[in-house]
Amino acid sequence: MRAVGSSIQRSDAVDKVTGRAAYAGDIDLPGQAWLAIVYAPSPHAHITRIDTAAALAAAGVLAVLTAADVPVNEYGLILPDQPVLCGPGSTVQAETVRWEADHLALVVAETAEQAQAAAKLVQVEYTALPVITDPLAALAPDATVIHPHPFSAFPYGQRDNTSNLLLEYHLRRSDVDEGFAQADVIVESTYRTHAQEHAYLQPEAGLAFVREDGRIEVIAAGQWMHEDRAQIAHTLGLPAERIVVRYPAIGGAFGGREDLSVQIVLALAAWKTGRPVKIVWSREESIRGHHKRHPFVIHAKWGATKAGKIIAAQMDVTSDAGAYAYTSTKVLGNATLMCLGPYEIPNVHVDARTVYTNNCPSGAFRGFGAPQGHFAAEGQMNKLAEALGMDPVELRMRNVIHDGSILATRSAVPAGCTAEEVLAEAARRGGWKKNGIGYWVLGSETDAAPLRNTQYPISIARGVGIALCFKNVGFSLGFPEACHAWVELHGTSAIERALVGCVGAEVGQGAHSAFAQIAAEALGLDVAQVEVVAHDTDVTGSSGSASASRMTFMAGNAILGAAQQALAQWQDEERPARADFVFHPRPTSGYDRKTGESDPNITYGYCAQVADVEVDMATGHVKVKRLISVNDVGRAVNPAQVEGQIEGAVAQSVGWTLLENFIQKDGRTLTPHLSNYLIPGVADVVEEIVPVILEVPDPQGPLGIRGMAEMPFIPTAPAIAAAIHNALGVWYNELPLTPEKVWRGLSANPFPQE
Amino acid sequence: MKPAAFDYFAPKNIEEALALLGEHGYDAKPLAGGQSLVPTMNFRLAQPTVLVDLNGIDELFFIRESGDGLRIGAMTRQRAVERSPLVQRRAPLIHETMPHIAHPQIRNRGTFGGSLAHADPASELPALAVTLDARLRVQSSRGERWVAARDFYLDLFATDMQPDELLVEIAIPDLPARTGWAFDEVARRHGDYAMAGAAATVTLAEDGTIAAARLVYLSVGDFPTQAVQAEALLTGEQPTAALIRAAAETAAAQDIDPGSDIHASADYRRHLAKVLAGRVLARAVERAKMTADDRR
Ligand SMILES: Cc1cc2nc3c(=O)[nH]c(=O)nc-3n(C[C@H](O)[C@H](O)[C@H](O)COP(=O)(O)OP(=O)(O)OC[C@H]3O[C@@H](n4cnc5c(N)ncnc54)[C@H](O)[C@@H]3O)c2cc1C
Repeated sequence: MRAVGSSIQRSDAVDKVTGRAAYAGDIDLPGQAWLAIVYAPSPHAHITRIDTAAALAAAGVLAVLTAADVPVNEYGLILPDQPVLCGPGSTVQAETVRWEADHLALVVAETAEQAQAAAKLVQVEYTALPVITDPLAALAPDATVIHPHPFSAFPYGQRDNTSNLLLEYHLRRSDVDEGFAQADVIVESTYRTHAQEHAYLQPEAGLAFVREDGRIEVIAAGQWMHEDRAQIAHTLGLPAERIVVRYPAIGGAFGGREDLSVQIVLALAAWKTGRPVKIVWSREESIRGHHKRHPFVIHAKWGATKAGKIIAAQMDVTSDAGAYAYTSTKVLGNATLMCLGPYEIPNVHVDARTVYTNNCPSGAFRGFGAPQGHFAAEGQMNKLAEALGMDPVELRMRNVIHDGSILATRSAVPAGCTAEEVLAEAARRGGWKKNGIGYWVLGSETDAAPLRNTQYPISIARGVGIALCFKNVGFSLGFPEACHAWVELHGTSAIERALVGCVGAEVGQGAHSAFAQIAAEALGLDVAQVEVVAHDTDVTGSSGSASASRMTFMAGNAILGAAQQALAQWQDEERPARADFVFHPRPTSGYDRKTGESDPNITYGYCAQVADVEVDMATGHVKVKRLISVNDVGRAVNPAQVEGQIEGAVAQSVGWTLLENFIQKDGRTLTPHLSNYLIPGVADVVEEIVPVILEVPDPQGPLGIRGMAEMPFIPTAPAIAAAIHNALGVWYNELPLTPEKVWRGLSANPFPQE
Repeated sequence: MKPAAFDYFAPKNIEEALALLGEHGYDAKPLAGGQSLVPTMNFRLAQPTVLVDLNGIDELFFIRESGDGLRIGAMTRQRAVERSPLVQRRAPLIHETMPHIAHPQIRNRGTFGGSLAHADPASELPALAVTLDARLRVQSSRGERWVAARDFYLDLFATDMQPDELLVEIAIPDLPARTGWAFDEVARRHGDYAMAGAAATVTLAEDGTIAAARLVYLSVGDFPTQAVQAEALLTGEQPTAALIRAAAETAAAQDIDPGSDIHASADYRRHLAKVLAGRVLARAVERAKMTADDRR
């Protein structure tokens, strides 16, 4: 049996199903103490005094740590704008809390109960500051500045400390005004997308201890071990080698573990007390305490000619970064390009910005700016199609990018573009066909055609919608991209066993099984002969993050490189044969700050989806009857896992589109429980998900493999919105499409009924 | 979170349970399925110092026929009610409604009486009890009394029961001849508490006019809300689509005063109340006609 292409059982399946797999919360260390966090008293305030005396005197308390105890009191994945602990005693930045989940103090005690009880005894004095919750209001000239102090590092040149603007990008191609002058139709809309909670099964948890060799080991789930290590080391003022990061079993990530949560405070507490320290966040702490998908407001104006060519696109894009940057600048970078969709557009004008507020920080979440950007782009395509009286598939076909198409960044689409292929396959399966003159039309024989039954008191409308997307694989815009791996071959005459060292995170997506399958394929071994070594930062150099749909693509290339070299050594009779390899993909470049000119991405993945919906016209309730997801994955390493990724992405995306509603008021979370932040259950997702796998090789991918895990999230919202429009004749530009919102849209645009 | 500390008693019969409730009064709570009580204790919204576990009292688990309807013991699991052929035959409205209550796992544990006693305004069973003119038998060491469902619900999570009283049995009268019934609700998710729900019964006279109508809402007020003005509008009239629509409009506009929360605004709840009234009344009328036809 070929290793690659087989749906073999995942290496971690039995342990996870039987409960044997140890997540951080399941691990206990001898002599461990427990940590509790004292959170901000207000979402925006100047902290004038923290009195820890009562907490220190409480039963079982070993230490109470405040800002003064943090050697370097700043951290952040992209830029160090977040204090580890807020309050007096370190930097001016740290004297302010900007978010309801900012940390003020850490209480270490013998038991979790003692730590939590003592945390309540910490007294805080503060002066409240205005709470800014709207990114557009945050940009007003008289708005209170949330970060008025310079950061020790800012990777985007000079930052304006007198504004809440974190970063802006501009794309300019040719002349949009001239473009609009040539347009026969112009459509204009404002799209709003909302925050989303990752809602992974496992809330944040971890342990830290000082090892016998004097190094500090942190055991906590993450997505990029070496980056976690670098940030922990920075705050402790220690060289990275003094820190070891170990990943236990990880209960989901989706981008939510890209930024740090419990790691630094655990390391600090273990270092200061000399005791192993453990923490397990409650679900409420998790929902309040980690970042969310970025809310975006996108104003879009697109023009097209009667021939169905898009001639101009003007976009004004604003995202809410929340209190700290996290990956907001990177998400903005993606959204700046992806708000244009996978289309050739000759005249482009994009202004995009991300803005600090006192909301929960926004950051990485499956799709990373592409879902928000595509909600606007695909909405515009559907409206243009309607304005032109053209089928939405036909319009897309006339504009879709191909190999070598020039993007708005004035760089070419990398070879292996299959936007047209995925669109055609989704269209065919969704009921479209080419008519006599070769135009795509929605076949009338399909039962998905709009159908309305308006017999009082029941009124049901059905509709079908389609959407297409592209999404970068790997880090974008010049961010350094590399992946380490090694392969070690054991045996005498024949290779009997192979070890593969690669510390890409197994976040539940099946990465480690994929690594083993790729290595087995390269080495001609059975997967059972391959063992993946991935537990901590000592195993190998950085493998980069399990994010950006990059893990299998990057690690696959690194493992193939290492396997080839190890095989060569094996031929030279080395026993064991061992080779280290660092894969570097082709370099990318950052946006020119005025024009956006760049070579933004290594390569892309493509996905198209068709949604069939049924809307209860009286209540506004939307049911997705069928969702077809066509993904080009280059080559499916493990088809069952690929289908799992598609189904999981669709579930998460349907949740975002129809159900999930993360609500904050004055900087405070109103939905910190899974009883009021509603994620879909199996009966709420889709009656039928149809995952379709295409395998057109990516020339840069290992064995042709493409990244694929984010893509099936991206077209779902615009496909459902298009289907609802098809059913009701109403455009919905604001997510989530709750029954109440759908009903309000219908009431404002009464359908000829009743 | 975990609940505050409490004492736990597991009486074996009603008498013991009543003695414990009599002794501990306001500090005690009966524990039925625990599906509402335990979460509220974990959130520390309730902090009883004494729990009187009813799960070992066999005499509280039953469904049986009486001369004029059904008798259901307070501890009967919701799942048992859902699956009972007796309930399906003699109280079809209850049978139709049970799957709307939470999820099977919760119905396996949650009890018929626990839901009625808990008096959550978003719960289905209190609304059904009012719709069906159920009577509730309440006991304490002081004695026993029967309370009509419509007198039982006083306020948000508040009933006519005293802290030393126990709900032991519920009597569900048979539906009159030529009566149809229906239940419907709208929830954000499968199995969630509804944003609004409605139950109806309609009894037709020999001449086809509406002899009696009952329309009761859940989730649009502090307790089950009977739409009395809509009921009055329907009574004595021919059940036309126009009449049903007018009744639905009256119910939504005049009989209820819904509130807003993060899942639905008051406006939307009022709108749902209208839609649901139209649906349950129309279905109840259809079923009433069918039963009338059957008997002919
Ligand atoms: C996730 C979830 C979803 C749910 N969804 C719904 C839903 O959609 N609709 C719905 O109606 N319910 C729903 N419920 C609640 C569920 O139906 C409960 O089972 C029910 O409300 C209470 O019944 P219980 O037997 O669990 O009572 P308990 O939780 O044990 O008790 C509830 C209260 O009633 C009192 N009590 C119980 N029995 C008696 C008695 N015999 N005499 C006097 N007082 C008594 C208790 O002291 C307590 O105060 C849901 C619950 C959960 C956890």
